[in-house]
Amino acid sequence: MSRQSNRTTDSKKMNAELFTLTYGALVTQLCKDYENDEEVNKQLDKMGYNIGVRLIEDFLARSSVGRCQDFRETADVIAKVAFKMYLGITPSVTNWSPAGDEFSLILESNPLVDFVELPDNHSSLVYSNLLCGVLRGALEMVQMAVAVKFSQDTLRGDNVTEIRMKFIKRMEENLPAGDE
Amino acid sequence: MAVCIAVIAKENYPLYIRSVPVQNELKFHYTVHTSLDVVEEKISAVGKAMADQRELYLGLLYPTEDYKVYPSHMIIVYYTPVCIFFLLIENILLYRHTRYGYVTNSKVKFVIVVDSSNTSLRDNEIRSMFRKLHNSFTDVMCNPFYNPGDTIQSKAFDSMVSAMMVQAS
Repeated sequence: MSRQSNRTTDSKKMNAELFTLTYGALVTQLCKDYENDEEVNKQLDKMGYNIGVRLIEDFLARSSVGRCQDFRETADVIAKVAFKMYLGITPSVTNWSPAGDEFSLILESNPLVDFVELPDNHSSLVYSNLLCGVLRGALEMVQMAVAVKFSQDTLRGDNVTEIRMKFIKRMEENLPAGDE
Repeated sequence: MAVCIAVIAKENYPLYIRSVPVQNELKFHYTVHTSLDVVEEKISAVGKAMADQRELYLGLLYPTEDYKVYPSHMIIVYYTPVCIFFLLIENILLYRHTRYGYVTNSKVKFVIVVDSSNTSLRDNEIRSMFRKLHNSFTDVMCNPFYNPGDTIQSKAFDSMVSAMMVQAS
């Protein structure tokens, strides 16, 4: 998805289906290989993390947003700039916790799950877990430790997809944990 | 007015058959099966012609047939005046069934059996039903958890088919 920005909207639309099908093939292959939904979720998160630590550089270069002053600003940037740039959707930021360290991203539509219907034997699979990993990895590279998880999922029958993000702490300058 | 909708794979086994009313299911299975011969004939007749969207639609497969169906006895007999005396008149239902066929470029066949006693559906409506079926079928295909050749268990496909059958009756 990371390419120079002189592509037309048309070719972006074409690639979206290929992207969805590619992601679907990835998840089903992982399911076949690991045969355990929890393990697949973990692997998706790891893969997302590796994508995130690299994607953040591309994002910062292309969007030229400055340093965010607080978590609220971070949330807005993620929803309005990052998601728009990479997935073409704009989730809404809601459900702030009283302490201001937790919020929800509500996605009306999730391009990763077009055409997907979860079969019954994969009921605990978090299909879009890659997104959680991406967000976690990207924010870790800007010294923010966050916990990301899906609290609602259209594949499980909910109306919308909801990602819950919780700020854990501000990190010291150090290298990321790396792949295991 | 669709009373039965069937999706048949390239190897001629059914991927999906749904009929309303449910008690005549076996009869519909048989009907669809016999329609397959007609479909095969039409496919081979087209021969080397490049199939475009229009030719995917095969149209009326078979001349309309009359069946007398008795729900209480589940027997299929041809209409004869003699039978009236033997069975309760209020249970007699006369269905005229017409079958329509549609084949995709990947040799997946769709068969729709309609009961034309109320209104005869125009050709365009049948075509649009097939188009909807085809679109839903491609959506099912795109589901990464669906293996081509499995029976279709998608809820979205089921609800689309139910909507098509309800909308008519």
